[in-house]
Amino acid sequence: MDVIWGVSVDEVAWGGAIAFYLFLAGIAGGAFLTASMTDLFSKKQYPKVIQSGAYIAIVSIIVGLGLLVVDLGRPFSFWKLLLHVNMGSVMSIGVFIVSGFTGLSVVYGVLVWLNAAAQKQIRITSANTEVAATSVGQGLQAFRKPVAGLGILFSIGTATYTGFLLSAVTTNNFWHTPFMGIEGIPFLPILFLVSAISTGLAATLIGALNCGDLTTYKKIDMVLIILEIVLIFILYLSVKPVFFSGSMAVLFWLGVVILGLMSPLLLSIYSLAKHKNVILPVCGMVVIGGFCLRYFVVYTGQLFK
Amino acid sequence: MAKKYSMIINLAKCIGCQACTVACKFQNKVPEGQFRTKTPANGLKGTYPNVSQYFIKEACQMCQKAPCVSVCPTKASYYNEDGVVLIDVDKCVGCKYCMTACPYDARFLNKETGAADKCTFCYELKVSKGEKPACVSTCVGGALMFGDLNDPLSEASQFLAKHKGEVRKPELGTHPNVNYIYEGVVK
Repeated sequence: MDVIWGVSVDEVAWGGAIAFYLFLAGIAGGAFLTASMTDLFSKKQYPKVIQSGAYIAIVSIIVGLGLLVVDLGRPFSFWKLLLHVNMGSVMSIGVFIVSGFTGLSVVYGVLVWLNAAAQKQIRITSANTEVAATSVGQGLQAFRKPVAGLGILFSIGTATYTGFLLSAVTTNNFWHTPFMGIEGIPFLPILFLVSAISTGLAATLIGALNCGDLTTYKKIDMVLIILEIVLIFILYLSVKPVFFSGSMAVLFWLGVVILGLMSPLLLSIYSLAKHKNVILPVCGMVVIGGFCLRYFVVYTGQLFK
Repeated sequence: MAKKYSMIINLAKCIGCQACTVACKFQNKVPEGQFRTKTPANGLKGTYPNVSQYFIKEACQMCQKAPCVSVCPTKASYYNEDGVVLIDVDKCVGCKYCMTACPYDARFLNKETGAADKCTFCYELKVSKGEKPACVSTCVGGALMFGDLNDPLSEASQFLAKHKGEVRKPELGTHPNVNYIYEGVVK
């Protein structure tokens, strides 16, 4: 670097690892929400959806946290985040929300797994040995629904936290954008929550492919996609055009808008009309679009100040 | 009484020699390729032969309402008893949140320690012993001044009483303790 003439490289403090972490935390929150809501409130039985969501949540949040730790300047001192607390820092509060969520999702995943294993056993064994299944594993199942309920709070917390983390940077014109110009209501937590539920649901459906009728879920995902399109439109009008320029223009228009929102929406409408099964391409595009959104937000906020 | 240390940078007197840049690197053993302070050329204006430009010293602005301190998750970034923003290297995990928050790009991740790093006003090594920061005492053109603004008799207070000091990006409400004097400079 030239000290006098200030030839600086476009360096960002937070790069791809953080974008990927924010994306994975969203997926984890959304997948957990899908599984636990189904578990608690659905009249129909969707065991595969519950399993898919519960397992995806665990894997995503653990991989995400791993990326977060590796991205630290001093990875081996990550435990100091638990020791020194600053209640005024969103990141410090987030450490506890995400830790709580990780713990709950692991417990929930184990309970879901035990339940599935027990169900399988019942199906295999004959009627007179069914008693064996109602052992320790079944006793623990009493905790499954309370864990799911508490987990819902933590999964919403985790998904919105990823937005608050960025929006709390008051000196960043893009990240700090308020919702509809209302000072005090930051935009990103709302956008990231909707995107998290949408991508988490999509990932869960990919994991539960060909497991009966998923029409209800497809319709929910369509509503979420439409909601996200509205939010992205509001965002586009709320900030300066420079944030959608240069290399970020391609990522935004191609990745976020066309691949992540418009194509899956049109394909879903088409599939509902023609009764075609297009879960894999629709959900795949939603998930990739969700990653593009995080990458776009993380980078454009730092590149153009 | 608590101190309010401030640096005053008189831009018209700066010749861009980078003595401050070098003195800081030696004093604070800043890793190669990294800088706590640097003085790039700025504001190239006009058409030949009527051109002007000036040099502007950049470093931590020692905000009284520092975004880096409020976002730090471990309280590694803090204000000391004299209002100077410092980093407790032992508490820092290197999350870079402060670097995203600083509107002056004053911070970097020290290559050797992995912790956030920036100008300290040479607090530990010089100022706490009654000396001036390394950049100030080495400045060739006399462009740099340092002192306690809570002491009305200090050189810094006396100078600011007569000249108009400006802070960078005042609209962000960070209330920096580094004042720039633009008198005699085409902004």
